[in-house]
Amino acid sequence: MRSRALVFVALSLTCVIAAAAFAVTAVRGANEKEAKSERAVAAARPQAESVLESGQPFVAFRTLDRKHPANYGRFAVAPLTAEGPGEPVLAGPSCERVTFRAGTGLCLARAGATTFPVIQLDAKMHEVRRFTVAGVPSRSRISPDGRWGGVTAFLTGHSYAQPGQFSTAATILDLQTGEVVGDLEKDFQVYDGDKRINHRDRNYWGLTFADDGDTFYATVAHSNKTWLIRGSIKARRAETIHENVECPSLSPDGTRLGYKKAVGKNPTIWRFSVLDLETMQETQLSELRPLDDQVEWLDDEHLLYREGETTWMVSADGSGEPVQWLTAADSPAVVRP
Amino acid sequence: MYGLQSTTALKRNLGAGRLKQRVGGTVLLLGTCSLLTDISSEMVSAILPLYLVATLGFSPLQYGLVDGLYQGASAIVRLGSGFLGDKLGRHKVVATVGYGLSALCKLALAMVGSALGALSAIILLDRTGKGIRTAPRDAMISLTAPERELGLAFGVHRAMDTAGAMIGPILAFALLAAAPDAFSSLFMVSFFIGLLGFLVIALLVREPRRRRPVAEEVEQVDLKAAFGLLKGKEFRALAIAGGALGLATASDGFIYLTLREQVDFSNAVFPLLATGTALLFMLLAAPFGRIADRWGRGKVLVGGYVALLAVYCVLMLPSSGWPSLIVVLALLGTYYAATDGVLMAMGSKHLPEELRGSGLALLGTSTSIARLFASVLFGVLWTWLGVEVALILFASGLVAAMLLAVRGLRVAYA
Repeated sequence: MRSRALVFVALSLTCVIAAAAFAVTAVRGANEKEAKSERAVAAARPQAESVLESGQPFVAFRTLDRKHPANYGRFAVAPLTAEGPGEPVLAGPSCERVTFRAGTGLCLARAGATTFPVIQLDAKMHEVRRFTVAGVPSRSRISPDGRWGGVTAFLTGHSYAQPGQFSTAATILDLQTGEVVGDLEKDFQVYDGDKRINHRDRNYWGLTFADDGDTFYATVAHSNKTWLIRGSIKARRAETIHENVECPSLSPDGTRLGYKKAVGKNPTIWRFSVLDLETMQETQLSELRPLDDQVEWLDDEHLLYREGETTWMVSADGSGEPVQWLTAADSPAVVRP
Repeated sequence: MYGLQSTTALKRNLGAGRLKQRVGGTVLLLGTCSLLTDISSEMVSAILPLYLVATLGFSPLQYGLVDGLYQGASAIVRLGSGFLGDKLGRHKVVATVGYGLSALCKLALAMVGSALGALSAIILLDRTGKGIRTAPRDAMISLTAPERELGLAFGVHRAMDTAGAMIGPILAFALLAAAPDAFSSLFMVSFFIGLLGFLVIALLVREPRRRRPVAEEVEQVDLKAAFGLLKGKEFRALAIAGGALGLATASDGFIYLTLREQVDFSNAVFPLLATGTALLFMLLAAPFGRIADRWGRGKVLVGGYVALLAVYCVLMLPSSGWPSLIVVLALLGTYYAATDGVLMAMGSKHLPEELRGSGLALLGTSTSIARLFASVLFGVLWTWLGVEVALILFASGLVAAMLLAVRGLRVAYA
């Protein structure tokens, strides 16, 4: 037995040292990457400011440049011309999702144990304040006037009723005062016709805002179905207006919504579509791949979305073919000052 | 005799030594092994949603598929491994395979990329490993601890197991805070900790030796005998009691959801509810085990279910906010501490040594299947009749099950 004990001591010491080695290497590597990335952002500052303050359209996005892994996930900008996006320029913090509008940016940063920070940025991508939201970051949008921010988070944990079940929370933030307006599930009253939606398995996600400073759209799901809701921030109220609409995104002219429509179940298959809010007519887009993203409008005729690490563009009337628009980028936000 | 040792060191030595004397070294080693393995497993479980959704870009639906994979298979695996341990007479070997498999899965996670199929397979294998090791490990605890200390033995093991489950997530989040996105490194750290646990059982734990004199009649170990265990009056009464009580047990998830409806707390607090319960379970498991040994295991078992009944009652009453929350978590932790290990201790008493693994597996599986049904039932009742009605029905069911259990146990232990 002595030899066994000795072998154990030797092997277990090896395990402890190996575990410690991996941990220490990881921490040191992360610190180096962070420092390198900060230097790169600082070096790019003049160029970034020229894009941000040019008064010309630009696109803000998350850079996914594998050739410079230290900068992977950074907030970046690129000038937007008639030919498309220009050269990417590093501009802000590392994020999981980004959005930018009306001189305000939101960076959903990495999740911690049970929460993640939402960093609010000003027109020059400097930090204004931080919100703390529960869960894992999922989606983000800002209203056209820059007043309201919408954040969707994905909540998990052993505490949740059935294994494999997920829960989402859609939160509205007041970017002017820094207050959290509320969570659609807890603080808003949502109706389906005249019946209040109070189901145990209800989930909300995918906020998008209209330009009247009060109206918003989102998705509500319960009993294995999804609906589009339209609501008022001030009244803390919303109603369902159409079935099978996920992650809506309002067009710049406010007349149509780009969204995912579930066209197959088990597993769910989505098709990007556009809903005309007046006629309630649906147009399926020419992107046939079942992608999962909240679309962003490039202009009133084109939509942007992510596939892997590339942002694609497709026509909003269902014609043509999708084209690659910006490589090594996701979470695009088109800004037209 | 103790030379120059300080009084504190003396007390400490005496304390640990006394525990070892009480329950046996094997129980402590198995507890250590479970502690390390749980640190390893829970490190990964805690960050898996983050990894799948944030880093690999899975949608919540894909994640649900990966997570919900294991439900049915576990019962068969558990019964099978318990029986195999009996048949071969080698519980340690079977358990070691289970621990080794789970450790290897962490290594696999570090090496495989983002393929959904590969990840699902690894997670399934990991849970299979857990199913393989549960029954032989419990058999080893019950075969090496003295019969009169079985409650304490199981309690100590459960406490160490739960401690590991609490340390794991803390370690994982600390590592990710210092090294964001270092998921491969995290999986490797988890692998080495799991490997350490494997080494404890592989190298330090010995096969339990037969305690009864060889001349005595030995039961033939085959499937017929294994299922024949249910013919035994006492064991059957216990299995039925465990199953009936399990049927009236609302799962933790629903209890926490009910709390969330009643107490206004932030979504960020929600995952911590499980931690609160686990903390109390960890602190109370060994003491309750000891009380069970002294005052009667049946009494403590039923007492645990009284605590569960109290949880239902608190949830039915108008909520007083945070005090309700704390009381419910405390009662839930008490319930686990008074029932989890104690049931196994009770089962051990009426099972022959040769069939200990199969018997404990039968007991554990019947209880977990009952709880699975209860979980589905509660969900259905909540959706169709509302949470108050569901609670009332479950509370009444629990009272009925407790009366049935008390009567059955009295008959069995008369």
